[in-house]
Amino acid sequence: MTQRKTFLLLLPAGVLLVVFLAIPYVSVFISAFRVPGQGTPYGDGYTLANFTRILGDWFYLGQAVNTMLIGAVTTLATLVIGLPVAFQLARPDLKLRGLFYGIVLSPLLVGIVIRSYGWTILLGNNGVINRTLRGWGWIDGPLPLMYNTLGIVIALTHVFLPFMILPIMAAVQGIDPSVASAARSLGARRPTVIRRVLLPLAMPGIQSGCILVFVLALSSYVTPALIGGLRVKTTAVTVVDAMIDTFQWPFGAALALTLSVLGGASVLIFARLTRMKWK
Amino acid sequence: MTEVRLNRLTKIYAGGKPAVDAISLDIPTGQFVSLLGPSGCGKTTTLKMLAGFEDVTSGDITFDGQDVVRVPAEDRDIGMVFQNYALFPHMTVHQNLAFGLEMRKIARPEIQRRVQATLEMVQLDHLADRYPAQLSGGQQQRVAIGRALTIEPRILLLDEPLANLDAKLREEMRVFIRDLQKRVGITTIYVTHDQAEAMTMSDIVVVMFDGHIAQAGAPRDIYETPKTAKVAGFVGQVNLIEAHVDPDHPGHAATPFGPVPVTAPGVGETVTLALRPEAIDIAPAGAPGTPATIERVQYSGAIVDYTLRFADGTAMEVKTIPRHPFAIGDAVSLSVDLARFRQLEREY
Repeated sequence: MTQRKTFLLLLPAGVLLVVFLAIPYVSVFISAFRVPGQGTPYGDGYTLANFTRILGDWFYLGQAVNTMLIGAVTTLATLVIGLPVAFQLARPDLKLRGLFYGIVLSPLLVGIVIRSYGWTILLGNNGVINRTLRGWGWIDGPLPLMYNTLGIVIALTHVFLPFMILPIMAAVQGIDPSVASAARSLGARRPTVIRRVLLPLAMPGIQSGCILVFVLALSSYVTPALIGGLRVKTTAVTVVDAMIDTFQWPFGAALALTLSVLGGASVLIFARLTRMKWK
Repeated sequence: MTEVRLNRLTKIYAGGKPAVDAISLDIPTGQFVSLLGPSGCGKTTTLKMLAGFEDVTSGDITFDGQDVVRVPAEDRDIGMVFQNYALFPHMTVHQNLAFGLEMRKIARPEIQRRVQATLEMVQLDHLADRYPAQLSGGQQQRVAIGRALTIEPRILLLDEPLANLDAKLREEMRVFIRDLQKRVGITTIYVTHDQAEAMTMSDIVVVMFDGHIAQAGAPRDIYETPKTAKVAGFVGQVNLIEAHVDPDHPGHAATPFGPVPVTAPGVGETVTLALRPEAIDIAPAGAPGTPATIERVQYSGAIVDYTLRFADGTAMEVKTIPRHPFAIGDAVSLSVDLARFRQLEREY
């Protein structure tokens, strides 16, 4: 096949990307600079007012910072829980592999709304956790687990754990087992083999897992909306409020764009800091 | 320097027949020993037990009389070179070489000195800051050997280290490894399925089949006086001749070349004789010898291989320098020094 004909094979994917990815992005970008309208999505002309409103008000910036903190803490929590799980799942001698894969993937098999309501049953003031602890006499009043940042982080950690585990597992499975044997023959004990050899070699998977979870947590809507309620709002929740409740499309677009820029910058800095020279 | 001794060493994997079946072997200090055999013969399993990566089912391994079977791999003080090199991809050449010394809590300046010495020894000092992915196969191989040697181990184990290199580089590395081993004087055990590697590099070749040692000895002994047809065939081309004991010459077997002295069997019984293809002289028809016809000619420059057939239908391989331009169908005359025949042990 000639060069030109092979290019034709890219056409379906190209069209798909332009229609469903490029056009919406450009449209959000343009909307952010539009003037809000009365009874219509946009008024006439373009403005920077949407951004001056966001940057001039600590309410929105603080909310964006809090959203990124939720993303960062969720990433850290999934990493701490997921790393040992991923290492175990990557063992070539693992039995019942299919069952364990199923368990790891299970948070994704339940609908997002049902899963979030499930967490309200567990975390609420009269939820399973608080009632049990009170029943045992360990606490007097209910622990604040719902309608706060902690609750959101707990629920997000649960959903996004597979996105941390799977890339790390793939990276660990890709490590040549004789590399660990070589380290042992050179005198390294198991903890040293993990610290000096296996963890660094799992870094590509750790890096992609962290970026995936952070980006997903940053942009998640349903879980923060249901668990955070009216008290804790993430930027994504405020964007939807602006779009649907108050019908300020340009302001919502500007807010979404601001979060994208902050999140994108964080990802770039993270990728830069964790760059692997040997790759 | 370390003397290695295997005593009835056995490995049985769950529910299988023994992968290594009660092998015993003494390896004197400083010797280069090859474990040679087809895949599945137990040579790699033996090496893994020596390294401590594989549990021993029964039997002993001793280094200088000290039992090491229960010593974990990280305490055995062994230099190991893996088939795929197993370099640390995230470390530079220098860091790869320093790793084993860091594990031994050696002081920084001393590590520097020894890594530098090793870099020079394996001729890689100009590549110290490269990562393994930036090196060629042969360079990676030299890093692997250097990394195994920096720790000044008691013994050096190599698991098919040349299998992934191209033919030319493989020959260079054979010489390199052998020279290095002689210079360092370290007891070395080398696993390979390539008879040319085993023969050219080793002091002792240990031929293994089915978890057993079929024969161990100097390369020349293995080649010239193989005990069995399997050993004879594994270390080189061989003509196997099933011969009856000659009723006219007691104690001799009848061959197309005449009666060959053999031991033991009585008249009418058969013996198996081995004759290397290069032991046979080939001359134009009419010369003294046994007449035969050329069936196939494989000319490869320095040598030529003939397949011939005697009048009685017996086929024979002959390897010689290309002296005469014989062609297929030519009648020729074959002769051999009868002392070149080897009587083989029966295999049951």
